[in-house]
Amino acid sequence: MSYRIAVVGDQDTVTGLALAGATYAHIHTTNEETLAKLNEFFDSEEIGVLLITHRVAEELGYDFRRMVRTKRLLPLVLRIPDKTGYVPKVDELREIIRRTVGAEIMIKKESS
Amino acid sequence: MTIALAVSPTRMELLKLKQRVGLAQKGHDLLKEKMDALVIEFFEVLRRIQEARMKAFDQLSVAHRALSMGFAVVGTLETKQASKETKRELQVEISTRHIMGIAVPAVEVGEVERSALVRGYGLHMTSSVLDEASREFERALKLLIELAELEASAFAIVRELEKTKRRVNALEYILIPRLREALKFIMMRLDEMERENFTRLKRIKAMMEKRE
Amino acid sequence: MSADRLIKFELSKLNVHLPERRLSLKEALSSAKPQVVSRDGSVHTFKREELEFLAGLLPEADRDKLQVPILIALEPKLGRGTARISGEAEVKVVSQVLEKELTAVELLIYRPEVAILRRKLPTTTQYLFLW
Repeated sequence: MSYRIAVVGDQDTVTGLALAGATYAHIHTTNEETLAKLNEFFDSEEIGVLLITHRVAEELGYDFRRMVRTKRLLPLVLRIPDKTGYVPKVDELREIIRRTVGAEIMIKKESS
Repeated sequence: MTIALAVSPTRMELLKLKQRVGLAQKGHDLLKEKMDALVIEFFEVLRRIQEARMKAFDQLSVAHRALSMGFAVVGTLETKQASKETKRELQVEISTRHIMGIAVPAVEVGEVERSALVRGYGLHMTSSVLDEASREFERALKLLIELAELEASAFAIVRELEKTKRRVNALEYILIPRLREALKFIMMRLDEMERENFTRLKRIKAMMEKRE
Repeated sequence: MSADRLIKFELSKLNVHLPERRLSLKEALSSAKPQVVSRDGSVHTFKREELEFLAGLLPEADRDKLQVPILIALEPKLGRGTARISGEAEVKVVSQVLEKELTAVELLIYRPEVAILRRKLPTTTQYLFLW
């Protein structure tokens, strides 16, 4: 199946990725507006990948995390740095795996 | 998992319980192997994610620098306009792939990079600076899509890992100890009954001998 | 579901990702789209570069002996994290990939080696759970 790309973020990110061919775009201003738009994107059957800047994702907080947790298989959601290169210090994947398999395995694996 | 502890102390029940302990132990050991295998798969994906992230994020920052140039040379408004006029029809093929029975997405991205003509923003605005920015963002987008696939795989593996771990723990800390306890109880009761029988028999025997 | 049925159900799911029928390396190499169908109905596709890498490790005559995917058999009674590789051609290639001395027709490998094997042969190896 073919799918389209959606992007949510600041002006620069959205402009750049739209130039690259992303079909759906939303420039973040208020949480309320962005969440409504995201609901639309998550419901769309057309969107396969949703890119959102870490900064906006963080600003949306719990509401966004819940959306991601309860979404279907698609769209795939990827958090990306914005123009300033911002990424949070805590990596979500590492955090989850640390909780799941325990810190011992993390350290053993990392050093191998 | 719930199990009834109300067991009747019979040989039959003992045999059944022993089988149940065997099954639970087997299930536990195998699911633990599965867990270990999933951990291996997870860290392999994580290793690839780290590489892919570095590449994609580096390219993204290159693209942002090119876009700033575009803003400066062509003008912010004009650049935004171009981003609206350009053909925004990039498509990706998404299917599913299975890792150990877990469905993970498989994304195929065709050529993202386009020629200036195909990009299709009004020729009056065509500028090499803008084209440069578009090209860099096209490259970044391709890498980001590949990264999205990897991250989705990692999350799918983690979810399965969590599920498997819950089962392993339920077996290890709840079911198996309870079954063993029930086993112990039956064995004790059977022993006790045997001893009672034995003394009763002895008593009967003694009584019979007395009567003779 | 009772606890016992739940365990049996979990066990029955352990190997559904394995193919109904494996391919010989020769068959896989000559196929335009080398793939196998798994027991759960999903399609598993081999990467051509991996198949070619395997072919490079084997003499021509052994290419119809090697079955892909190569099975990494995990068996609790071998000890946690120990896996068995069976088959002459399979043992031959895995020994080379892991830089191990070629021994018998069967090869026991351990967790770190399983990880290396999965990294080097992601589409041409699969886990098999045995009990």
